[in-house]
Amino acid sequence: MTADAVIMRERGMKEGLKVGVSGVRGVVGDSFTPQLAASFAQAFGTFVGPGPIVIGRDTRVTGDMIEQAVQAGLQSVGCRPVLAGIVPTPTVLVLTQELGARGGIAITASHNPSQWNALKFVDRRGLFLSETQAEELLDVYHQQLFPSVAEMDIPEATRVPSPVESHWRRIESCVDVNAIRKRRFRVAVDCCNGVGAVHTPDFLRELLGCEVFPVLDRPTGRFEREPEPTPEHLGLLCEAVRTNHCDIGFAQDPDGDRLAIVNEQGEPIGEDLTLALAVEQVLSSHGKGPVAVNLSTSKSVEYVARRHGCEVTRTKIGEINVSETMLKIGAVVGGEGNGGVIVPAMHPCRDSYIGMALILELLAATGRSVGELRSDIPKYCMAKDKMRIRGEHAPEILRGLRRIYEGEKLNLFDGVHVDFGEQWVHARRSNTEPVIRITAEASTAEAAAALTLKVREQIESMER
Amino acid sequence: MTLRVASFGIRGKVGDSLTIRTAMDFSSAFATFSGGGRILLGRDTRYSSPMYHAAVLSSLLSAGCEVLDFGVCPTPILQFCVQRYDAAGAVSITGGHTAAGWNAISLIGADGSFLEPLGGEAVLDGFHAGEFLRRPWDQVGAVRVADDFLGPYLDAIENEVEVEAIRRADFTVLADPVGGAGCAYLEPFARRMGIKLVPINAQPSGYLAREPEPRPRSAQQMASIIGRIKGDIGFVFSSDMGRMSLVTDAGEPASEEYTFAIIASHVLNRRPGPVVTNCCTTRTIDDVAALRKVPLIKTKVGQAYVLSALMDEQGVIGGEGSGSIVLPSFSRGFDGFLMMALVLDAMAANQCPLSDLLRALPRYHIVKKKILCESSAGYRAIDSMVENARSRRNVRVDLTDGLRVDREDGWVHARLSRTEKAVRVISEAVNRKDAERHADDAIRAIRQAV
Repeated sequence: MTADAVIMRERGMKEGLKVGVSGVRGVVGDSFTPQLAASFAQAFGTFVGPGPIVIGRDTRVTGDMIEQAVQAGLQSVGCRPVLAGIVPTPTVLVLTQELGARGGIAITASHNPSQWNALKFVDRRGLFLSETQAEELLDVYHQQLFPSVAEMDIPEATRVPSPVESHWRRIESCVDVNAIRKRRFRVAVDCCNGVGAVHTPDFLRELLGCEVFPVLDRPTGRFEREPEPTPEHLGLLCEAVRTNHCDIGFAQDPDGDRLAIVNEQGEPIGEDLTLALAVEQVLSSHGKGPVAVNLSTSKSVEYVARRHGCEVTRTKIGEINVSETMLKIGAVVGGEGNGGVIVPAMHPCRDSYIGMALILELLAATGRSVGELRSDIPKYCMAKDKMRIRGEHAPEILRGLRRIYEGEKLNLFDGVHVDFGEQWVHARRSNTEPVIRITAEASTAEAAAALTLKVREQIESMER
Repeated sequence: MTLRVASFGIRGKVGDSLTIRTAMDFSSAFATFSGGGRILLGRDTRYSSPMYHAAVLSSLLSAGCEVLDFGVCPTPILQFCVQRYDAAGAVSITGGHTAAGWNAISLIGADGSFLEPLGGEAVLDGFHAGEFLRRPWDQVGAVRVADDFLGPYLDAIENEVEVEAIRRADFTVLADPVGGAGCAYLEPFARRMGIKLVPINAQPSGYLAREPEPRPRSAQQMASIIGRIKGDIGFVFSSDMGRMSLVTDAGEPASEEYTFAIIASHVLNRRPGPVVTNCCTTRTIDDVAALRKVPLIKTKVGQAYVLSALMDEQGVIGGEGSGSIVLPSFSRGFDGFLMMALVLDAMAANQCPLSDLLRALPRYHIVKKKILCESSAGYRAIDSMVENARSRRNVRVDLTDGLRVDREDGWVHARLSRTEKAVRVISEAVNRKDAERHADDAIRAIRQAV
C-alpha cells in the first residue's frame, strides 16, 4: 500500500483516488470507476479538441473495462479513439507523435499493484502533460461543460494494425541492431505479467536476435511479483539467468517504462545502474552531449558522464520534468534512477526497450560482461530518513536549511538539494504525508547515514 | 424535454439529453439490480450505438457482470436468448423507431421481457440514488462474444409456422430493415423459410434512408417497386426489428395498425385465447377478438405494459397498433422475424395474397396528429377534456393512458408525449371524414385549454 493510501484510509476516505500531474489513478471498484474514467476522457477530449486520440493499455484485469469507458467518453466529445490495444506506455507516446494524433491516453497504473489503474494523458508532441497543462485539464474537468456532438458527427473508433512497429523502427534507427544480432546473446527477461509478456520476447528475438528465456510472461495482469523491479523482487529472474547461463537478465515493470538488470552471475546490479550503463553507451558510441536526471538519481550517472566530459543537469522529480529539461538543454540521454532510461533521439520518454537495446549494444561493442562493466563504476550508497513535522512548518524548515547550506552547490527545484561533489543530501516535503524526506548518497553507507543525520539534527534545532 | 426515463429503458437525443454519464449510470443501476449476473448486450447500427455500447459494457463489467456480447443484434433476438443463456437480463442499444439523432438503452429482464414496470422500479431508484454495485479489480466481469444463437432462434421460428407450406408457396418477399440491426439476419431467415428475398436498405448503416417508423409514409419506396418485381408481399421494419408494417402485392402500403390485426386473426384461428393490446390500437382488433369470442384486455401504451398483462391474463397474443406482436409461446418480445414468418404463414395457409387477407378485415380510418405545447399546458388541456367528456352522454371514457373517448362510430385518444413537448391525438372512425373531424375537434379543445 502506498503512503497516500494509508493516509486516505486513516482519514476514512475512499481508497487512493489521486488526481495530479501524472494523471488520475485510483483503486478500481472503490474510487476509480468507469464513470470517472469516461468523465476524464471527456475532459481530455475537450481540452485537446476534436481529432484522433491514441489509447493504449497495460495487461491489468480492469484495462478493457476502463478502455471501453475512455473510448465512449472521447467519442461523445467528438474525438476519434485510435486503439493500440495492449502496448508499452512508451509506445503510446511514440504512436501519438507518429500518427499526428491530438493526444493520447495510456491506461496503466505503471508500478502500482494490480488493484490500481490510472489514466495518463499525452499531448500532441507525444509527451505527458506538463504541470501547467495538467492543471488546465483539471479546470476543464471541474467545469463539466463538454461540447455536445450531434449523432452524425460521432467519430468511429479505429484500431492500429501493428502498434509497436513504429516504436521498434525508431529503436532500430538509434542502435546498431546488427552488432547485437551477431552476438546471439542469451537473455532472460522478467515481464511481470505485464505488457512485456506480449511484446518483449518477440522484441528480443526478432529485432535483436537474442535467445530468450522469459519468466512471468503470461499477460494476465495478475502480477506474480511486486511490480517495482527492485532487487528484492527479482529472485525468479536471477534463477533463470543462472540455470540458462544467460549473458544478462532484464526485468520490466507492468507497463514497460522501467528496466532493471541482473548480471551474468544472476545478481541484480541495482536500478540506478541501468541508467548509468545506458548513459555510458550513448556517450561512448552515439555522441557526446548534455545529460539530465532527476534530483534523486544516483551519483553513478554523474561519474559516467564526467568520464566522458559531459555535464549533468538535475531536474524536479516527475518524468515530464526530466523530459522537458532534456528537450530544453538538448540532452542526448538521461532519465530517472528508478530504471527509467530516456533517449530523446528515440523519443523523450522513459522506455525499457531502448534501455535493453542500449545495454546489449554496450555488451556487443565492448565485448565485456555486465559484471565487468558494472565494476568500472564506483559503488554509491543511499540513506533515507523522514521526519514528522507540522505541515505549516515545512516552508520555514526548508528556508532554514537553505541558509545553512548557502555556500554549497544548491538546487532548489524541489526542496533543498545540496551537492558536495562526491556526495549529496536532499530534503524535501512529501506530497502525500506530513513529513520531510531526507535522502543522501555517498560512497559508503555510513557516510550517507551521517549526511541524513546531520540534516535531521539541523531541523530538530530549528524546531526547538 | 428529450429524455424519457423508465424502468424498461431510457431514450433521448444524442449529444443532448442522452449523455454518456446518463447511459453509464443507468446501466450501472441495471447491473446492480441484476446482482452483477450474466447480461446479454446488443446494439443496432445507428452512428452513436458503438459509443453507447462501449459505455454500457464498461459499466456492466464494473459491477462484475459476465457480458455476452451479441454485437449488432435486433432487440427481439436478445429477448429470445435471455432465458436460453440463463442470463440475468439483457441490454439493447437501439434507436428503434425514433428519428435520426435519437437513441435508447432498453433493459430486458431475466424472462426476456422489457423490464416490468412493477418490478423494475428498483433500477430507477438505484439510478436516482447514484449508488451502484462495484466489484474489486479481480472480480470485474469478462466479455465473451456470442455467436451460436442464430440456429436455435430460427428453429424456434420454424416451430411457430408451417414451413413446408411457406416453401411451396415460393414467395417473393421485399424486406426493408432501414439499414438497422436486422440487416445481417434477413438472408439466413429467407433461406430457412425458402422465400426469395429482395432486400431494400439492407446495408448496415447509421444513415437512415427513410423514416425508421414503419407506416405507409415510410413504405413509399417499396410500394412503388413491388409490382414491377412481382413481389408477393413487402415488410418495412424499424431499426431494432420490433415494429413492422406491410405492403401488399398490389402496391398498397397498409397502415401499421393492420400488422397486429392480420397476425391476430391467423393465430386466433389456430389457438383461440385472450388478446392484449394498448388503449389506442385500432378497433379492428376489437372486432377480431369479438368474432372469435375471446377476451380483449387493454393496457397503457408500451411493450412492457402489454407483455405484463399478457402474462397476467395468460393471453395467446399481444400487440400494439404501432406494428408489433408478441407470442408468449415463442418469446417475451415484439419480434419482427416472427411477425414476418406469421404473415407468410397466414398467406400460405389461406392460399391468398395479402390484399385478400386485408380485405377480409373490418377496416377503419385512423388519423394520428400531434400538437406542440408545454407539458404543463398539455396536462391542463387533457384534464379539461376529461371533464368535458364525462359530461357527455353516449360516450365511454377510459383513462388507462391519457384519455380515450369511445363513440358508437369511433374513438379519439389524447395523451402527453413522453419525449417531446406535445400532445398526441389519435382518432379512428368508419370513414376518413369523421376521423379527421373528431381529431380536429380534439385539437381545437386542446388549443382552447392551452
